[in-house]
Amino acid sequence: MKRLLGDLKPGERACVEHIEGGGALRRRMMDMGIVPGVELEVVRRAPWGGPLQVRLKGYYLAMRRGECAKIIVTEAHQEHREHLLASR
Amino acid sequence: MKIALVGNPNVGKSTVFNALTGSNQQVGNWAGKTVERKSGLIQRANQEIELIDLPGTYSLTAYSQEEIITREYILREKPDVVMAMVDASNIERNLYLVLQILELSPRVVIGLNMLDLAQTAGITIRTSELAAALNVPVVEIVAAKGKGIEEFLTEAIRVGELEQDLSPVEVSYPKELEQKIQAMEDLLAKTKWATRYPMRWLALKRLERDPEIGQEWKISTSQSRKSKSKDSCCDPGDVVNYELLETVVLPGDDLLQTYEAEGWSKDHFEMAFADAKYKYISHILPRFRTHENPAKPTWTDLLDRWVLSPIWGYPIMFAVLAVVFWGSFVASAPIGDAVSQGMAWTADVLVGLLRWGHVPDFVQSLVRDGIFAGVGAVLAFVPQIAIFFAFFSFMQDSGYLARAAFLGDRFMQLMGLHGKSFFSLVSGFGCNVPGIMATRTLEDPKDRLITMLINPLIPCVPRLGVMSAVVAAFFPGSRGSVVMLSLLFLSMILVMFSALFLRRVVKQTERSAFVMELPLYHIPTMRNVLIPTWHKTYSFLKRAWTFILVASIVVWVLSSYPQGVPMNETWAGDMGGWLSFIGRPLGFDWRIMVAIVFGFTAKETTLSTLGILYGVAADASQSIAQAMTGAMTPLRAFTFLVVYMLYIPCLASVVTTYKESGSLGWTSFGVAYNLILSFVMGWIVFHGGMLLGFQ
Repeated sequence: MKRLLGDLKPGERACVEHIEGGGALRRRMMDMGIVPGVELEVVRRAPWGGPLQVRLKGYYLAMRRGECAKIIVTEAHQEHREHLLASR
Repeated sequence: MKIALVGNPNVGKSTVFNALTGSNQQVGNWAGKTVERKSGLIQRANQEIELIDLPGTYSLTAYSQEEIITREYILREKPDVVMAMVDASNIERNLYLVLQILELSPRVVIGLNMLDLAQTAGITIRTSELAAALNVPVVEIVAAKGKGIEEFLTEAIRVGELEQDLSPVEVSYPKELEQKIQAMEDLLAKTKWATRYPMRWLALKRLERDPEIGQEWKISTSQSRKSKSKDSCCDPGDVVNYELLETVVLPGDDLLQTYEAEGWSKDHFEMAFADAKYKYISHILPRFRTHENPAKPTWTDLLDRWVLSPIWGYPIMFAVLAVVFWGSFVASAPIGDAVSQGMAWTADVLVGLLRWGHVPDFVQSLVRDGIFAGVGAVLAFVPQIAIFFAFFSFMQDSGYLARAAFLGDRFMQLMGLHGKSFFSLVSGFGCNVPGIMATRTLEDPKDRLITMLINPLIPCVPRLGVMSAVVAAFFPGSRGSVVMLSLLFLSMILVMFSALFLRRVVKQTERSAFVMELPLYHIPTMRNVLIPTWHKTYSFLKRAWTFILVASIVVWVLSSYPQGVPMNETWAGDMGGWLSFIGRPLGFDWRIMVAIVFGFTAKETTLSTLGILYGVAADASQSIAQAMTGAMTPLRAFTFLVVYMLYIPCLASVVTTYKESGSLGWTSFGVAYNLILSFVMGWIVFHGGMLLGFQ
């Protein structure tokens, strides 16, 4: 089931399917380790529509909801899938 | 030998740099950039080593200033060795940068830091296995305790002296990708230009259509000297400038077009390379890392449960900010007073000497009332700034600053700014100078510029002091707090409006992303707090004092000539007279305009200027403000407060903006914007108030 990262509730986990858009934002996300297949966990959401705290690869990231809405995720535990051409 | 220190932000790079170079550092800016450049000379085993601390970065693409600087330095300056710092508790993402460095420079030594932090999180790293997996030397360090740093350097020197380059691992890309890289490599190998750079890296970048590939740069020393003299306040330290020599047309355009047709665009290549690097890391990871109980909460998790909590996060943040403000701006007051008293005492002694030497009166007055009074007013702020920066460095190093940005981001989003602007703006309530300097944490230069330009609209402690004295005199009782709140509310609205307005003025190709790491908490070392504090305070003093000295002398001359006349007949008084055409529509008389003119150097002097102009003998702010009530209606006083709150805070803030933005144009724009905005707002308030029937 495909969802947006921004729609996850605190404590929920999901795997990155692909990142929409391009340019600096996507590049930045990739540099921080958000690549297809990576498992993400939403730790908490700041109140009043503030940013999300996300855990991945054992560290924490803060991202705005608008940015999280660009990340399409699927349910966790599908790590063995190949995502070679995932950006297509 | 030239050694470069590279790593992610928050890996303890500056701890290692400070430990190795000690006080022997040069701090400046990278030429044309607003990023700090730190270098130091070390003597080891009969050779001089230039150690350069490259800015913390997550990647080596060309998207941020830090990335560009790091990449350009490695490519153009070709350091003999690269010391790559790696955070053991976050090794996957750290190795991503290391893999990119390995593509660029074969001589790399890895410093594995934060092993203790990793251990508490249940992570064990087998150093020798890591070294074998990447085929580069790895040294374990505990930077905070000073362990392993010397060994790290020794290993780097050893690698630097090797006859042959190391042969680190190459990331194995998937077959389809590998064929394309190979095809590009074959094409590039025929160009003479390409032989000077690592071929594989060049091929990758060509496929990513990196704009800088194919450019030939030359270090231009002559130009650097010229720009040094032109901009001595803004580029201290040894500055290296580059000149574009030529742009080589590289082969492969046809190939790129073929790939494009097959669906392999620039974005797709970037994605595929990043993906392959992370895949490669997770492939080799089990060889050297074991992670026990990953679900077990760490110290950071436990702390964040409170610090980032939707309920408790904000009270905690206010408490932290209250401590910082109290420590920097209240507790430091006696030190500041001692400084100004010391200055006054020195001035008296000097004047005594001058009198003894029968030096003319005007020189005595220049020394006492001009130089010492003016410079002393600024020096009295230095303890504040120093203490503030100690707190600032502590918060940044400990990891709290990123949390404050997380919590404050929602408000900054309303203004179209980054969460990291929050702290800079809040600091403005203490003093705008450190507020402007605190914008250094912002990565995007445009975000930085906007934050810098709107900071002066926030009333600092001295301004708030004058404002509350005037408010108390004109609006006694509970009305006073309503008036004060309305002023603060107005300042907030204008900050927000200006941020949105400047967003349209400042050209920005792409809005910066709010993708910010929340580092693990740790206790900063004493040295890491004190060294930056010292550098910031020193650089403030160094650049401010000449400006302040000149300004103090100018103000003194304007206000004491022609000699022996009342203040309204001095040159400054005349100026107030000329300027009263601006003030008249706002209901200001010449006295107010004179006070506003004098307020440029330092706004806290406004009350004493008004005191002299209204002929009040007492020095207490209360009695001066009381004297004003006889001469002004409350509406005029309110208009004065609005203008006073909004126009340029002080000369030091203007100098700081110039230094931090590196642009005279933007500094002038900021000054003009502030002045126009303050007078326009004053006009609106005055005439709006008249229409509503206030007097």
